[in-house]
Amino acid sequence: MKSHRWILMFFLVFMGSLLILPCAFADEKEIKIGVLYPLSGAAAAIGRDLQRAAELTADIINNGAPGVDIPMAQWKGIPNLGGAKIKLIFADHRGEPDRGADLAKRLILDDKVVGLMGAYHSSVTKTVSAVAERYGIPMINDSSTSPALTQRGFKWFWRATPHDEMFNKDLFELLKGLTEGKVKGVKAVPKKELQNLAYACENTEFGSSVAKSIENYAKEYGFNIVTKLLYSANAPDLTSEAKALVAAKPDAMLFTSYLSDALLMIRTLKGMKAQTKFFWGQDAGFEMADFAKTLGTDIDGVLTRTVFIAKVTKVKKVAGQINAIYKKKYGDDLTGATARSVVGVQTWAYALNQAKSTDPKAIQKACNELNIPAQELVMPWAGVKFDETGQNILGRGLIGQYQKKSDGKIDLEIVYPFELATANFIYPFPGWK
Amino acid sequence: MLIIDALLQGILMGLLFALVALGLTIIFGVMDIVNFAHGEFLMLGMYTVYWTSLFLNIDPLLALPASAIMGILLGLASYYCFIRYLLRGPAIAQLFGTFGLMLFLQYFAMFLFKTDYRMVEKGLLVGKSLSVGPFIFDWTKIAAGLLSLISFIVVFYFINMTKTGKALQATALNKEAASYMGIKTDRMNALAWAIGGGTVGVAGGLLVNFYYAYPMVGILFVMIAFACVALGGFGSIKGVFFAGLLIGILEMVFPVFGQLVGSDFLGPHFKVTIIYLAYFIIVVVRPQGLFGWRQ
Repeated sequence: MKSHRWILMFFLVFMGSLLILPCAFADEKEIKIGVLYPLSGAAAAIGRDLQRAAELTADIINNGAPGVDIPMAQWKGIPNLGGAKIKLIFADHRGEPDRGADLAKRLILDDKVVGLMGAYHSSVTKTVSAVAERYGIPMINDSSTSPALTQRGFKWFWRATPHDEMFNKDLFELLKGLTEGKVKGVKAVPKKELQNLAYACENTEFGSSVAKSIENYAKEYGFNIVTKLLYSANAPDLTSEAKALVAAKPDAMLFTSYLSDALLMIRTLKGMKAQTKFFWGQDAGFEMADFAKTLGTDIDGVLTRTVFIAKVTKVKKVAGQINAIYKKKYGDDLTGATARSVVGVQTWAYALNQAKSTDPKAIQKACNELNIPAQELVMPWAGVKFDETGQNILGRGLIGQYQKKSDGKIDLEIVYPFELATANFIYPFPGWK
Repeated sequence: MLIIDALLQGILMGLLFALVALGLTIIFGVMDIVNFAHGEFLMLGMYTVYWTSLFLNIDPLLALPASAIMGILLGLASYYCFIRYLLRGPAIAQLFGTFGLMLFLQYFAMFLFKTDYRMVEKGLLVGKSLSVGPFIFDWTKIAAGLLSLISFIVVFYFINMTKTGKALQATALNKEAASYMGIKTDRMNALAWAIGGGTVGVAGGLLVNFYYAYPMVGILFVMIAFACVALGGFGSIKGVFFAGLLIGILEMVFPVFGQLVGSDFLGPHFKVTIIYLAYFIIVVVRPQGLFGWRQ
């Protein structure tokens, strides 16, 4: 009788361990991170590129990449978690904030992800991060730049990219630099020749926050805004917006656009033979690979703020190595958006490694104390280190200019910061004949 | 001067909007079905001209017949392979059915053409402008406006002046009575889908001269098309023509008006609101739309 009891006890313990062990095993071998990107809808082309960059980075972490000179490329999994592999679970929010929030809930409750990443559109990141905050799940944002996102007092949200306030300041520093003769290849331009600015920004969270910031900086730096336009990025026609810009005859045209509206705006302005001296776009549509591929030489002289330009690969070894793998696999160079996706997954990997656990509180602590050195990033940043709001304080922006080369091809050259300039600045903007 | 410029630009875009909406109103008029996949027919029309002009190395305008034929075939295939079966079910099944067709065509296009943005780069009129005094017009938009008008006239003539067209109208007015008179209403339904597909295919072919083709492009234009159909009167061809023009003109003139008044508030960002406000007012004052008739 007694022996029967022991057999029963052993059987129960054995069965129990069968139930428990696989969970523990799975915890160690696979770490699920939910990644929300716009994989269909108007921003699908961008979403596809972001997904590729995130997958490639996860692959480098999980399987190693011999030619890449950073510790992460030799890890083959997360070292402090027993070599556990990162598994990215992608969800398509189509650029819709409410859909993003629903998907975040699904990823947290059904897929049991350890944390979230994404969501590219600031408007979607806003709702997704609110869900993460409610459930106490960490979210690392790679490429949403609305300043308001890190001004909400959230405890579970960290942003690796610099935000638009920082980028807009760069724009005005460049304008100021032009008037002071600091720009490579251009003599000082009298300020009155660059006094009048006009902006056209798409009307969601991203564009409207940039618009406000441009107005504030214009006041601070002593420029006038002659035309202020907010438009729908999904408009079937932008003729009236382009007309309003052309009619105002501004010295500088400033844009905040996603890809489809950036393409349409330039095509429409070209049709009107628009003239201005300075033509700047706030990243997003202006720096996607499809932008240059589709418009070709029509964008000679167009400026875009970004955080990564293929030329960075010439001055930064790691950037060149990872870019080479990406280009070999997908045919394009990394862009500001895709390079930030690389940094997003990398930040996740470093945070997990430092946390030594998948417990949300441990990850939270790790994120708050994280410090990724500059030499381990593809970005020309001083590193990744978050302040108390969750904002990376070591990031910085670049301004690039599309320039037509002697072989007829378009290349993106760094023109700001002045000390990193890789080519002479084309001024004034050549326009369209 | 600014107002005249905006008016002329508005007329050109309005003519194209009207052509996009024409097929939608014909299908609704004849069969009482809202074709949610209409925008995707437009998208496939854009791709047809894009690929035809690229592979045959011909001017995109010469590739227009290809987009018309594609539209007609797609309309017929949709009707005979899909819609005809939906008619047996409740109205809600028809609604969800065309919505499903929309999703299918979107993702099928994504599978075939990827999500890249494609534009016609070479062509007689592509990238060229016409300067007349202070006005600058995009030649591709002039061509789109004029060819839309011609397409509209051809369809209008066909429906009002030919025996088959009159049979189509009879089917739209009273299907049962038309059937008693010996009209094969099933064929008339198919004809409505063929005309609907053909006209929107041509509209897509005209559009790709100055707009980018990508799998989700249809939704941008189909919303305007729905507003045109409702504004003009469900099923009314004359109505959709004037509603298209009205929307095109409102979209262009209103922001210029704001500019002349010197108000940022009345800028281009408000233009879509004005379009739907006009729609709202007309629907309240004349629920049947501008040219629809009371049931």
